[in-house]
Amino acid sequence: MAAAGSVRAALQVAEVLETIVSCCVGPEGRQVLCTKPTGEVLLTRDGGRLLEALRLDHPIARMIVACVSSHLKKAGDGAKTFIIYLCHLLRGLNAVTDRDKDSLMSENIQTHRRHWKNCCQWKFISQTLITFQTQILDCIMDQYLSGHFLSIFSSVKERTLSRSSLEWLLEAYFCGRVGRNNQKFISQLMCDYFFKCMTYKSGINIFELVDDAFVELNVGVTGLPVSDSRIVAGLVLHRDFSVYCPADGDIRTVIVTETLQPLFSTSGSEFILNSEAQFQTSQFWIMERTESIMKYLHSQNVKLLLSSVKQADLVIYYARLSGISVVECLSSEEISLIQRISGLSPFVIPQGSSQCEISDTALVKFCKPLILRSKRYVHLGLISTCAFMPHCIVLCGPVQGLIEQHKGALHGAFKMLRQLFKDLDLNYMTQASDQNDASSPLIYKNSREGNQLEEHGNGSLQKPCPNTVVKNKNKLEKAQTYLKVISNVELEAYIPCSTVKLTPTNTFQRDQTPRCFSLEKDGIIDDCEPLIESNSTANSTTENTRVDISCENLEIAGKGNVLPMGCRLLDMCTSQSYCSSAMPAGCVLPVGGNFEILLHYYLLNYAKKCQQSEETVVSMIIANALLGIPKILYKSKKGNDSFPQVYRRALHALQTNQPMVSSQTGLESVTGKYQLLTSVLQCLTKILTIDLVINIKRQPQKVHDEDSEDEL
Amino acid sequence: MSRLEAKKPSLCNSEPLTSEGVRATLSVWRGIVSSCYGPSGRLKQLHNGLGGYVCTTSQSAALLRNLSVTHPIIKILVTSVQNHVSCFSDCGLFTAILCCNLIENVQKIVLTPTTVIKLNKHLLRLCTNYLNSEACGCRIPVDFHSARIPLCLVRSVLTSKPASMLTKEEVDHISALILRTFLLTIPENAEGHIILGKSIIVPLKGQRVTDSTVLPGILIEMPEVQLMKLLPIKKSGALKVALFCTTLSGDLSDTGKGTVVVPCGVSLESAVLDQLLNLGRQLVSDHVDLVLCQKVMHPSLKQLLSAHQVIAIDRIGVTLMEPLSKVTVQKIGTQPIGSLGSISTSSYGSVKNLRTAKFGSKHFFHLIPNEGTICSLLLCNRNDTAWDELKLTCQTALHVLQLTVKEPWVLLGGGCTETHLAAYIRHKTCNEPESILKDDAGCTQTELHLVAEAFCRALESLAVSLEHDGGEILTDMKYGHFWSVQAHSPSAVNWSDLLSRCGCGLYNSQEELSWSFLRSTRHPFAPQTCLPREAVGSSSTLTVDCLTAKLGGLQVAVETANLILDLSYVIEDKN
Repeated sequence: MAAAGSVRAALQVAEVLETIVSCCVGPEGRQVLCTKPTGEVLLTRDGGRLLEALRLDHPIARMIVACVSSHLKKAGDGAKTFIIYLCHLLRGLNAVTDRDKDSLMSENIQTHRRHWKNCCQWKFISQTLITFQTQILDCIMDQYLSGHFLSIFSSVKERTLSRSSLEWLLEAYFCGRVGRNNQKFISQLMCDYFFKCMTYKSGINIFELVDDAFVELNVGVTGLPVSDSRIVAGLVLHRDFSVYCPADGDIRTVIVTETLQPLFSTSGSEFILNSEAQFQTSQFWIMERTESIMKYLHSQNVKLLLSSVKQADLVIYYARLSGISVVECLSSEEISLIQRISGLSPFVIPQGSSQCEISDTALVKFCKPLILRSKRYVHLGLISTCAFMPHCIVLCGPVQGLIEQHKGALHGAFKMLRQLFKDLDLNYMTQASDQNDASSPLIYKNSREGNQLEEHGNGSLQKPCPNTVVKNKNKLEKAQTYLKVISNVELEAYIPCSTVKLTPTNTFQRDQTPRCFSLEKDGIIDDCEPLIESNSTANSTTENTRVDISCENLEIAGKGNVLPMGCRLLDMCTSQSYCSSAMPAGCVLPVGGNFEILLHYYLLNYAKKCQQSEETVVSMIIANALLGIPKILYKSKKGNDSFPQVYRRALHALQTNQPMVSSQTGLESVTGKYQLLTSVLQCLTKILTIDLVINIKRQPQKVHDEDSEDEL
Repeated sequence: MSRLEAKKPSLCNSEPLTSEGVRATLSVWRGIVSSCYGPSGRLKQLHNGLGGYVCTTSQSAALLRNLSVTHPIIKILVTSVQNHVSCFSDCGLFTAILCCNLIENVQKIVLTPTTVIKLNKHLLRLCTNYLNSEACGCRIPVDFHSARIPLCLVRSVLTSKPASMLTKEEVDHISALILRTFLLTIPENAEGHIILGKSIIVPLKGQRVTDSTVLPGILIEMPEVQLMKLLPIKKSGALKVALFCTTLSGDLSDTGKGTVVVPCGVSLESAVLDQLLNLGRQLVSDHVDLVLCQKVMHPSLKQLLSAHQVIAIDRIGVTLMEPLSKVTVQKIGTQPIGSLGSISTSSYGSVKNLRTAKFGSKHFFHLIPNEGTICSLLLCNRNDTAWDELKLTCQTALHVLQLTVKEPWVLLGGGCTETHLAAYIRHKTCNEPESILKDDAGCTQTELHLVAEAFCRALESLAVSLEHDGGEILTDMKYGHFWSVQAHSPSAVNWSDLLSRCGCGLYNSQEELSWSFLRSTRHPFAPQTCLPREAVGSSSTLTVDCLTAKLGGLQVAVETANLILDLSYVIEDKN
């Protein structure tokens, strides 16, 4: 198969996948029923599950699915969007090359055939894509898009999260993941769960913990309506008590990882029995020993024994006699979760009869059996020593398939939040200064257009833009531009301020005005450094003349609401054209294709001023492909809410620098979107670099290797 | 470590519900379940054509367990009903039929699934709110001080399962028995948190149903020969019991991962046996009268014990261990013995008495406890299949009673709840559509009327499924209850002469009522809410259903229907 065919083939594959996937996208999406060869039925709206269930045979399809699943592993969201982007990108590329081909054919058929055969062009395009992904995308994200970002935190510095903004975020997330009936309920459940588990001091690590141990933190119950799902305090272990002795008050507990009853011989050793009497004595000794261990535990007031292994009958018997409840055969994940929560380490059997205190016990508020639909579980009220307050979700549903769907969606939501709470580093090269000069008039014009409206209200405002800061070499000048930048930030801040319209609650307040109003350079730096630390993105690539400007806690009071704007940390190196900046944790945008339309707009602008034709082409293709998602989202809407109308309004708003008004409530993570776009571009370059697909007699070993490579 | 790759790609179907095949399958399935419904439901015989076991049933639990379905959509319906049944035991057919009806009715109206699902959910909430409210006109409080309503409940469960082949007298006998069994499992002096005991159903096939009986305590079945050997029991009064959960067969215990070297001439077996015999001597000297062992007992130990007039019974099995330890327990903390070492005297339990009993051809050892919540229900029926059905029915009835204790309300049965509910929904959607649509701007009132009509039709045709003999179904215009007329009855006569009582038996036809055919269209009317107390007291036998089970069934049916309506693709993995 030739290279040109490869794009076409990939397009065909992607189009088939798109038709399947697009029925599940967005709030209007529907369910898909999958059956497994084992006879289980699974309900899903999760793109990853869906693609897996198709068991695709086509080599390119399999590669795409592998790319999707590796993306999902990281981000937990966006499989369907992935396919749609990819399909649109391929369509765009295909259209462009078709056109090219025609024109080339007439010119010189011979040489260009060779050219196609060598796949130079594909290689070239894929290289451009990589350049775009690694440099231009970050640059655009940082310089243009970041002004539109909102922050999920109600206070950026302390990273406190208000319930309403989390609700918007989660509702938008579950819209795409759960059946229409249960979206609201599940997102409320998740919200409740989050706020119950969270303490004042806990931050991102709570997501890590829940994400890692999600399987242990939920219980599925079939046969009950979904609305019976609830949250229970404490930890529910998927086991029954081997021995249950009711106890009141605080219960001391120990973890054991080995059998308490001594055995005749351990592995690698030999035990020689010389007479019956010896055998009886040793058996008697074992019995005595077991009894003394259990009595010792009893004397230490231990009431609960959590064991990762099966204990001998004798241990169970003595535990029963001394009133110690026993839970056996806990999985290593459960044990490690308990250890993480309570900070408990396994109990080591005291050698000899040294009656020392056991240091490693934890207190448990309660421990009782929990019966859910005739199945018995162990319910532990662990007292947490970390920031996570243990709670479990009991998920009910009429069929197992639905419960699995909800489990998957909840897990994905935690993955998404985990990503959202991380800062995202953006690294890019700014263009050389002469290029910058060439492009700056454009920007000036652009921003002048944009700022006109502001100027009416605030005539004193200048129209600086971040690009100009980069060029400034004179220190004094620089100091002046700080002010300008700051005022610029303020100006930008007004942009999201009216988007806030869609979230009308809360009080009117303005927390802090930007602090860095100083002409003195030293002062600025002093002021900024602690802030950078607090943002935990302190970039230690110390090019000496670097200037950090941070604007902290810029809370904008919208129409009666506080929706803080994401603050930016701009590291600008004046001596070099290397830029590194970070998108702070918690950046969000309103749902409904806002991110796509914004990026589309700025990419088009970028393409206009691009000099290299390849870059222009690639930017245009990506910009147009981005519109695929909003097109699908607004497909069923009519009249004023139809896609062309929305698009027109948005562009108009951007050109006149008015706020973009979204008809939908809900927020989505920018990090997720960004990661998705990079994953798609990587996948696309992968597809483009293939020139031949060779079908060989399949060997399982080979397949395995290929898979593991993809996963990497 | 090579893993097997799936070979065949999956089969992907879009819009599964629109396909003719799926509709046909659904309607066949609906035919099967709806023909089983109710006291006059038809029985189904399930066999595999290769001989062997034949199951005759009309119960959802047995029917769905044995019926194998292949289509994924039916599969999801079946599992959903099965899950409901395993939670509540009752109302399985109700759930299945309602779900099918909803799907079929909704397909007839031209609305997007999105709208239908949303409105179905609103209607479901309307129903559950009404059924849980004080104003509900179709639920009755249960007073456990009198046996009347609980007995009605049990009787309704029994009569709705015709495959257990009971006559009227037998129904009376069994329902009284079930209620007694249930009462025996309630602890006498419980305060606060009640833990119900356990009833063990002992099979006795080939006997008359009226020979069934319930006994407090535990029956252990035993061959006659062995029973003769154990007798006579010399002592009267409380007996001392030792209950072992460990093996007494003289096996060596786990010796660990390493090796154990035993020189020639050293016999570990005899060492263990010595230990066992020592244990036996201790039991004898402690004046134990009865030794029970979950696992196997060594013959020598048995011999030793019987030589000293100690009764030894082994191989009890793990299922009987929990009730046994409850029966023999004297005080909290006495547990089955798990050690062969010296036994403290506190480990022994006791029973009040011990006797042998013969029921039919079987011999039993009957342990009578001092007090306790364990009882044995000896259940007789003429043949195997009828017995199986009866056993399931009894379990259902006992479970339903437990659920009713938790939530002491019952719903009117015999189709009356369904018709009443349909009338209520019609009335509500006609007169106060805003209250239903209040938090949802996306739907119009017309859409609501369409979907509500489909919903009500589904409920009504569920009630109609109760009638299998070609009779007509009427509903009155005051209470919205269910009335059935025999087939081929003369038309154009006074309805009040033809009809006697409504489906649940609460009202008779002599009240000034007006009737109309259930199938015909009627003006929506407000069915009378707030059931008057005297109305419940007057009628002798009522047909009632468990509230918890029916409410659960209703919710699961609507949720499952919504789930199936929401499907846009079915992907079948054909490996």
